[in-house]
Amino acid sequence: MIMSARGDGAAERVLAALRRRGAHLVGADEPAAGGTPVLWWDNGDYPGRSRVTATFAGGERRLVLDTGGRTVDLSRITAVWRSRPSGPRAAAAVTDPSHRAHARLQAEVMLDGVWSLLDARWLPGRRADELRAHNKVFHLARAVELGFTVPDTTYTNDPAALAEAYEAAHGRLVAKQIASDRFEVDGVQHRAYTTVVTRRHLTSRHRVRHEPVVLQPYVPKAVELRVIVVGERVLAAEIDASGSRAARDDWRHYDNDRVRYAPHALPADVARRCARLVADVGLTYAALDLIVTPGGEYVFLELNSNGAWGFVELWAGLPVSDAIADWLMDGEEQ
Amino acid sequence: MTDSPETPRPRAEDLPPESFGAALASGAELLRSLPRRRSGVAGARRAADAWAARHPDAHAQLVVDQRPGSPVVDYDLLLDHPDGGTIALSAPPEDGVPWLIDHSTHWAAGHLVSVDGVHVSVPQALTMLRSLSGRDASPYQEIVDQCLLAAAGDDGSPVGAADLQATADAFRRGRGLRDRASTLAWMAAAGMSGEQFEAYIEGIARRRRFRKEKEAELAPGHLAANPGDFARVRAVWVTGGEKVVVGDVAELFGALGSAGGPGAAGGLGSADVPGSVGGCGPVGDVVVTVGVRWESDLPEALRGAPPGQVIGPEKAPGGGFLTGAVLSRTPAVADAATLEAAGRAAFAAWLAERRAAATVEWHWS
Repeated sequence: MIMSARGDGAAERVLAALRRRGAHLVGADEPAAGGTPVLWWDNGDYPGRSRVTATFAGGERRLVLDTGGRTVDLSRITAVWRSRPSGPRAAAAVTDPSHRAHARLQAEVMLDGVWSLLDARWLPGRRADELRAHNKVFHLARAVELGFTVPDTTYTNDPAALAEAYEAAHGRLVAKQIASDRFEVDGVQHRAYTTVVTRRHLTSRHRVRHEPVVLQPYVPKAVELRVIVVGERVLAAEIDASGSRAARDDWRHYDNDRVRYAPHALPADVARRCARLVADVGLTYAALDLIVTPGGEYVFLELNSNGAWGFVELWAGLPVSDAIADWLMDGEEQ
Repeated sequence: MTDSPETPRPRAEDLPPESFGAALASGAELLRSLPRRRSGVAGARRAADAWAARHPDAHAQLVVDQRPGSPVVDYDLLLDHPDGGTIALSAPPEDGVPWLIDHSTHWAAGHLVSVDGVHVSVPQALTMLRSLSGRDASPYQEIVDQCLLAAAGDDGSPVGAADLQATADAFRRGRGLRDRASTLAWMAAAGMSGEQFEAYIEGIARRRRFRKEKEAELAPGHLAANPGDFARVRAVWVTGGEKVVVGDVAELFGALGSAGGPGAAGGLGSADVPGSVGGCGPVGDVVVTVGVRWESDLPEALRGAPPGQVIGPEKAPGGGFLTGAVLSRTPAVADAATLEAAGRAAFAAWLAERRAAATVEWHWS
């Protein structure tokens, strides 16, 4: 099952890779003899349009998904890929915001329970696994334990820690969010990208107490890496943003005319450590961000438990959709 | 607030001890009261001027720090210390805004436009302007078109060396860059490194490749659906500020002959229309065209006209008047030249459709 919103480009690419392996999309393709059926369903359809029923009777359990168009015995699902599910959504007829929130929570809990009973492989993992692994405090600690080099890092909402970290970094400090989220300033969407801290920032240290931030010394970079781990496969792309003023400190500004993407050959021990970290935090997929310093050192920055990979496939030529399709189909064969 | 050499500066010990401290406290209060948005800067300056007038000894200056990509501004107040030296006072108030949010930027900061969710930075847009096609479209439309083409053509497959070379050659020819030295000089003037130039050429090559493939894909269908547009038409027409009134094609050629045109035989007819050219007199400044065109490329007035019939004078699209005639018409055939023309037309229609459907958001503020 591909669990994702309609129009998800990543899911389209993996679906194409699955079709190349003989799979067919339920409700769209002609079933091929012996081919694996693939169900594309978005949990955003639940409970609004889909029905999920779990029954326990006579010593047996039945887990059924009715998508509105077909009925699926969930016990037959062998692999689930949570690509970009939009999250449970109440039917349009439920209009009171508190009722919608109530319906969403009930649905979320119900699905978590049902998914916990599936004897299926999950990529990157179940929702709770994803959330836990995505936590920067948690996965940085695991990375340190596995021997990764990491920048000296402070997670804090103590205003006094700001100037200390700035001085410790010899005035080359960056600040990051502990978790990305939407917010607005004057009614307009803003972003908190990686921020290079200046002395000006120190003058408003009192604001730090309002929410925790991540403080790290600026790590000089030869290139940045996005490492995609799928099961035991490790694919790395290097991102050279040194020619871009906009993306130099945070490549998520995507200044593509001035940013170079290319495959990167990781040293075997680093690749092994990446795969081990992903497994260690309870996932089968993750996108890791690392920096290669001018001295050739590999510095771990963070792990994104369902991090984007489409751009590294497109611009660096890494066969990520094939790797994901292989992983999902391996589950079928076992 | 400028220093005056005639005014002896009081020493700190000569002032009542609370004066300087009071000025500092007052300056801090001023800073805390200033509006922290760009729209409030003028008011902040007025408030600071008034404050400076009340504290002349401090020789105060307000420094406004406008953050890029954010409506938030910071202020510093520079003051003279009574014993010499400068004091820089900052006093961001406690307004309950978390630190990273206060220092965040607009989601599209540094971007000029977003086309279907693909963001174009200001440097990217400026680079695009270097390769404007020169066709009849505004730079805004060309930037949008290039975004659509880049998104559609960015399939990740590498561009072949021959394509890259052909693109680079065409690019250099178009700018008169005949040798390595002139190319390097152009790159230096454009602020492009060798690597950036290669990436730039690769982007153009990718779009060219996509366009070529799309044209080839769409051409047969477009020709089959619109055969009338691709008839080869031999026609003659004259445009100018004055009306040319003639009865038939021979008369038209005769008129052109008198004007030094291609069929220089005989004179104009004897039309008696005000403002028109009649008799044997000169026809003034005219542009004469005799040639073969695709039906759809003819002046609109001549499209579909039966051979031999004089059309006009009609108002010409660029101003003035047009008189002309279709001389002969050959129905469309699916040969290479016709398919090429059909591909170009089909591609223009495809792009126009994509443009109409695209979500385009300009980020001017």
